[in-house]
Amino acid sequence: MPGLIRPDSTTDPALVAAYRNGDERAAAELVARHAAALGRFLYSLGADRDELEDLVQETLFRAFRRVESWRGGASFRSWLLTIGSNILRDEVRKRKGQLVSIDGRDIPDRADPAADFAAGEAEDRVRQGLASLPRLQREVFLLRAQEGSDYGDIAAALGTTPGAARVHYHHAVKRLKELVR
Amino acid sequence: MSDCEWLSDRMPIVALGKAAWTPDEIRHLNECGSCQREWELVQVASRLGDEASRSLQPITIATAVVRRLERERDGRLRRRAWGFAGLAAAAAVAGALWTGGLENGPSQTPPQGTEVAGRLSIPLPELESLDPAELDSVLQTMDEPAVNGSTDDPALDDLSIDELERVLDSWRVDA
Repeated sequence: MPGLIRPDSTTDPALVAAYRNGDERAAAELVARHAAALGRFLYSLGADRDELEDLVQETLFRAFRRVESWRGGASFRSWLLTIGSNILRDEVRKRKGQLVSIDGRDIPDRADPAADFAAGEAEDRVRQGLASLPRLQREVFLLRAQEGSDYGDIAAALGTTPGAARVHYHHAVKRLKELVR
Repeated sequence: MSDCEWLSDRMPIVALGKAAWTPDEIRHLNECGSCQREWELVQVASRLGDEASRSLQPITIATAVVRRLERERDGRLRRRAWGFAGLAAAAAVAGALWTGGLENGPSQTPPQGTEVAGRLSIPLPELESLDPAELDSVLQTMDEPAVNGSTDDPALDDLSIDELERVLDSWRVDA
């Protein structure tokens, strides 16, 4: 395992530049920074818990292979998450919608099932609600709700405008509020 | 912007702990059912997948990703090296064919060799992309058999009668 380099003081663009110059420790540091967020995002989009690690690894591998295409318009994390979303979509296509329905699977074991039941149920309902949204609404909503990204960053990552991203977010919220009620 | 819109915009960063509600915002939130439902939704969404991603081990993933990147880079370099080796081999074959015409004797061969080379016209588009230094190194590998008098060429007495006739016929083409 390559040693990590100055975890807190180095920005993502600096780490990407270091990786482009051949420093593989920079890649390791970027992975350490973003793997968990990528896993959360992919799980929220409908990825199965069992395949999460493979998807995260594949996303990071492909991202570094084409890291030249990241120009810094969107944050590195948002760019990474959209690559993950594309990979997940390809997987879903390959399996003909196997991941679209998340009924009856992947309910986590909880230490205190009675106390956490309501929270777990709410999470499952949100996840099912997300699966029923159009792709852009789903991704905009998650980038904003999970990452706190602003509309400019979301728009740059998803190839849309900040105004359109705002509209997608509010449509997603409106539909999810109805579905999750 | 209405209070509801204002609150809606603030919800993600408050849910992620990057900001806190002001007293006015809390007052609105307590009074507005629609904002309460949205706030609940955003809170759930902000922690969605936390538990699933907790099982991920970033260091293990980083190691695997870096290894895959290294393997791919090594593979690319190997393929490039094989490409050059193949190119050099092709150039050497072209050189051998060219110098084969010289076997008839130094006084007659220069014009014949030139003609044979002209007619062979072996396409080597790979050469076009080479920079001068790379081209020099390829040309050096081509020069060696001619300079050394084709010492590595198979001897004619190793050939069967048929093969020998075919070789001689190929030399007679220019006569």
